[in-house]
Amino acid sequence: MDNKLTVGIADMKLARDSGTLITYALGSCVGICLYDPILHLGSLTHIMLPLNMEAGRKNAYKYADTGVRQALSEMTALGCSRSRLVAKIAGGAKMFELTGGTIGNIGVRNIDSVRTILKKEGIRLLGEDVGGTTARTLLFDVASGKATIRSYGKPEQVI
Amino acid sequence: MEIKNYSDLGTLELDILREVGSIGTSNAANALSQLLNQEVRITLPEVRIMGYNDAIEWIGGPEAITAGVLVQLGGEINGILLSVQQLDFINLILSNMLDTQVESYEQLTSLECSALIEVGNIMISSFINPLSTLANISIRPTVPAFTVDMQGAILTVPMAAFGGQSDYIMTIGGNFICNHVEVPCHLLLSPDILSLNILLGKISNPYG
Repeated sequence: MDNKLTVGIADMKLARDSGTLITYALGSCVGICLYDPILHLGSLTHIMLPLNMEAGRKNAYKYADTGVRQALSEMTALGCSRSRLVAKIAGGAKMFELTGGTIGNIGVRNIDSVRTILKKEGIRLLGEDVGGTTARTLLFDVASGKATIRSYGKPEQVI
Repeated sequence: MEIKNYSDLGTLELDILREVGSIGTSNAANALSQLLNQEVRITLPEVRIMGYNDAIEWIGGPEAITAGVLVQLGGEINGILLSVQQLDFINLILSNMLDTQVESYEQLTSLECSALIEVGNIMISSFINPLSTLANISIRPTVPAFTVDMQGAILTVPMAAFGGQSDYIMTIGGNFICNHVEVPCHLLLSPDILSLNILLGKISNPYG
């Protein structure tokens, strides 16, 4: 079973034993791989914004805080132990160097928020490829727990 | 009528926005035509309200590389104007302005990038100007920013900017037809919801 599961924007997918979870073109968004190495159970979440302040929150996976918590609860429901869980993250780039705008650097805020929430939940952060100015495609191999990052004009990187 | 969500937009409002797209895109085409000294036509401008992932499929998949020129609008309305330039369009500009062509994005020199930013900027400004006159509002664009990268990531910039307000992205704009060949140069306006209300209010009732 070597299937690929695509994770969209503001989305999360789980896989067990084998298969690749893949999320394309992370710009300022951050992809969060959570992995239980004993169960070989992994999840990949693609968040877009740092904090959920939306009234009547419809989509938890759009935000770093609610997204990570929702993914954690899905994984523990499948028998993961929190103490075994490790995380790898990628993304949070600044796509446009905009002078005079008010958009700010959403990428950096996303990275900060993801790190904070992982720390709060007691999940070890094993590796990251974050920041910079280039988009990333993140592939997460559930059999090995390896995360591969593809960028434009750069060699592939494994974390 | 107060719009809280894109789904509140009725036929009348969508018509107004389509007209905005039509005026903006045709004025931008006019500027491009003068710049290239050739005929430029436009496809029928569309107003699209799409979920994030649908929007990325619509523009041609997440990982395809494109050049993007982005301007943030300030003043009385907020929004983002994005000119997504694919290789066909880039070569059209370069062959006319600099008498060169590129086979891939990696080959773009800083002079060529600069020309693309300028063309993007001229088209964006010509899109905004009639809009500002029509609605009688002041719109201040920022200095344009440029990048060459995966188009999925480029498109998430307007999504993330207004993501707290909506699960959808609205784009207004069209493609260009140069010398009878359709060149995909998506010129996209994404206003935030508040600005959308201001814009619709001013246009539908200019004396109010």
